[in-house]
Amino acid sequence: MWGWMGVVKLLSKFLQKKAPSDKSTSKPKLKNKRVSIESIKQELADVDDVIYKNIRTPKGPVTVIYYSSFVDNQVLHQTVIAPILRQDETVIHASEKIDLNDLPHVLSLITTGHTILFLHTQHVFYSINTFSAESRSIQQTETESTVIGPQDAFTESLDTNLSLIKRRINNPELKNKTYMVGTETNTKVSVLYLSNLVNQDNLKRIINKLEELEYDGFTDITVMKQFIEDHPMSPFPQYNSTVRPDMTMKYLLDGRIAVMMDNSQSVIICPTSFLELFEPMEDYYNRWMTATLLRSLRFFGFFVTIILTPTYISALTYHPEILPFELLINLQESRNRVPFPPVMEVLFIELVIEILREAGSRMPTKIGQTLGIVGGIVIGTAAVEAGLISNMLVVLVAISALLSFLPSSFLMSNTSRFIRYAFILAAGFFGLYGQMIALAWLFIHLLNLTSLGTPYLTPGIPRNWTDLLDSVLRAPSGLLKYRKGIARSKEKQVGPLNEE
Amino acid sequence: MDNNKLKKLNGYHVVFLVQNSMIGLGLLSLPQQMSSMGYSQWWLPIMFGVIANLSLIPMIWIVKRYPKDNIFTINEKLVGKWLGKLLNIVLILYLILFISSILEGYLDLIQIVALPDRTIITPLVFFFSVLLYVVHGGIKSIARFCIISFFLTGWMALFLYWPISHGDISHLIPVSNFTWKEFLTASRNGYYSMVGYELILVFFPYIINQQKAFRQASIGVWITVFFYLAVTIVSVMYFSEWQMTEVLYPILKLFQEVELSFAERIDVMGISLWVMLLLSTSAAYLWASKKGMDSLRANNKTYHMYIMAILIFIFINIPFSKEFQEMLYDRVFYVKFAIILWPNILILLHLIRSGRKRAKS
Repeated sequence: MWGWMGVVKLLSKFLQKKAPSDKSTSKPKLKNKRVSIESIKQELADVDDVIYKNIRTPKGPVTVIYYSSFVDNQVLHQTVIAPILRQDETVIHASEKIDLNDLPHVLSLITTGHTILFLHTQHVFYSINTFSAESRSIQQTETESTVIGPQDAFTESLDTNLSLIKRRINNPELKNKTYMVGTETNTKVSVLYLSNLVNQDNLKRIINKLEELEYDGFTDITVMKQFIEDHPMSPFPQYNSTVRPDMTMKYLLDGRIAVMMDNSQSVIICPTSFLELFEPMEDYYNRWMTATLLRSLRFFGFFVTIILTPTYISALTYHPEILPFELLINLQESRNRVPFPPVMEVLFIELVIEILREAGSRMPTKIGQTLGIVGGIVIGTAAVEAGLISNMLVVLVAISALLSFLPSSFLMSNTSRFIRYAFILAAGFFGLYGQMIALAWLFIHLLNLTSLGTPYLTPGIPRNWTDLLDSVLRAPSGLLKYRKGIARSKEKQVGPLNEE
Repeated sequence: MDNNKLKKLNGYHVVFLVQNSMIGLGLLSLPQQMSSMGYSQWWLPIMFGVIANLSLIPMIWIVKRYPKDNIFTINEKLVGKWLGKLLNIVLILYLILFISSILEGYLDLIQIVALPDRTIITPLVFFFSVLLYVVHGGIKSIARFCIISFFLTGWMALFLYWPISHGDISHLIPVSNFTWKEFLTASRNGYYSMVGYELILVFFPYIINQQKAFRQASIGVWITVFFYLAVTIVSVMYFSEWQMTEVLYPILKLFQEVELSFAERIDVMGISLWVMLLLSTSAAYLWASKKGMDSLRANNKTYHMYIMAILIFIFINIPFSKEFQEMLYDRVFYVKFAIILWPNILILLHLIRSGRKRAKS
């Protein structure tokens, strides 16, 4: 066991170096080879989109090597070939001369879209960045759309995403440190922070975590997120993730750290508190009263959605006396034909709703509509008429299904779906007592969670009292004068202190 | 991360740890316990608060002299190694007995009110799993849970609105309608629900700002007193003298008075929510007993907690006769009383010892 841990630590030490040199440790044979057309050809054998183009120039032959899938022909012609043919020396001056002993570096340049020039007469290699692969343009987000506020969203290109942030924060204090993750994929990860605001401990922690990562490759940043969370076993997402540049900007200004990954649209923000997963950007664009109303709706909605149907179970199974007489009669009448105990009934319909949601989410829109109608009519009406479930329960389940979509973070809304089952079972076993035990469990779990070493449940347990101004309540923007306690920022106050 | 430091309790943690380890099962039957004084009982919580605050002084005094030790190690240092260990065993037994007594009382109540056709074993197992989860996180986790459970349960004081509107405020006077014997019985029984603050003897080394600990603990005590006072005043206003002696759990009766259009019998909900208070109290005590075990075996092991939990579990499930049990839990009171007064003796020992040291040098 301990020996294994030692191995892991050693490996993570290796990973702290840059990726190319890491590759050289894994493939020592590359180190001995010199850079030449032959050695490159040998290493890139069977990679059929590498182009070796020989150009005859007045000063002797030149070989151009590039990935045709990464480099647009027109770009190549404009930036490389035309100047060479014109004997324009600037292209040579502007490019980087390559160390002939560093073959891995050359290979990594080619695989990231650089063009390699080989001047036969002088026997030197140059590299020029000609990466011009197609990427998606900046579009609106569908997952986190707002009515007011900026509409642009991140794309899958890291450079575009960085530019979206940097055009909002024109400040040299905004740093973006790049790391390589994925032992096979060499994916770029960028850590963004404002160096005059960020808490150095937090920064060290996230960088350590990134450096210790050892995995083949991450298909999306959400996968990587699960590796670098403090408590991977928890059902709760411990870092916020967003595709909105304005939200990222807001948290950066708060002294948080944003982590971007190439080829993934969303950005993770750390540390994050539980409550912040209920706060979409629109809260800050709305008037404060509206925002407060909507925020409390979302926050309490989370608790209602996990408690509503369980309460139905406990009321009907164990404590019918907690309901007023008329309501109880009403309930009993609505389920007088239902032959199952309330737990089975609730589990059945909740599962049906999950099935509908899951089936609908992967269908094309047209079929999805049909599914909705089938689900609505068959489940809503026919199941009730068939005596499988009660009317009242359909209403409750529909409400709790709607409520579960309220949190702004999609992961949080999924979590609430999951937790509800724990509550349903607890209510089935012990009624209200079971529900309270489950609630206690939930709170203890939340209290013990940390996000990057900071308590997750702030400002439930406030770090600063000023946090409460921007919690369930959203005070008028002018009053939000202090950064959040969870960020542990170097400068507590927003903006300059008094002018005097 | 902040969990590895020794000092981890800030001011709020101390306030609510003290406050929540006091409020537990005792509050449910408080007015009945003090019913020998009849209607004059309502000011007793204030007196309890004063007594508790006074007895806090020697406690804080002694632990401040040993800022890195809890009561168990102080015992060993001052009383002597073996006698100290013996005392610690008694202390641990008391803690176990205390947790068993409140858990048993609570689960009986749950069985009567909420789950009439169940045995208490399975609810108990679930309770223990959650309890161990809290204690597993250490004293800071317990303190945080205390804060949360305060806010989750404190709002239930609003339910007192209905009994107040049905009560008669003239019951509050006269305030001195009792004999000395009645007064002593009432305060003896009533003080049962005040204990809990003595746990500061165990968690004092973990407090960040030890100089302010006395003030913070006092705030905790007086928050408790506020709740007790509210409950006793409202019960005095609402109940008749006969009811005060006969109704076993007056709080539940007060809850039943609540009239809401969408819910009746709030007491079922109240007694279920009470599990938060029980959890926070018993978690603090269980942690203390674990610390005692640590000092006995002179090492810090997580499984001590499980041993304690198993002991409590077994103890609750041993079928003692009701009389024996009541006798036992009644005797626990005297141990409790002794523990609250024990710091005075420790102070004496400390003074003798330091005097001797000075004489030597």
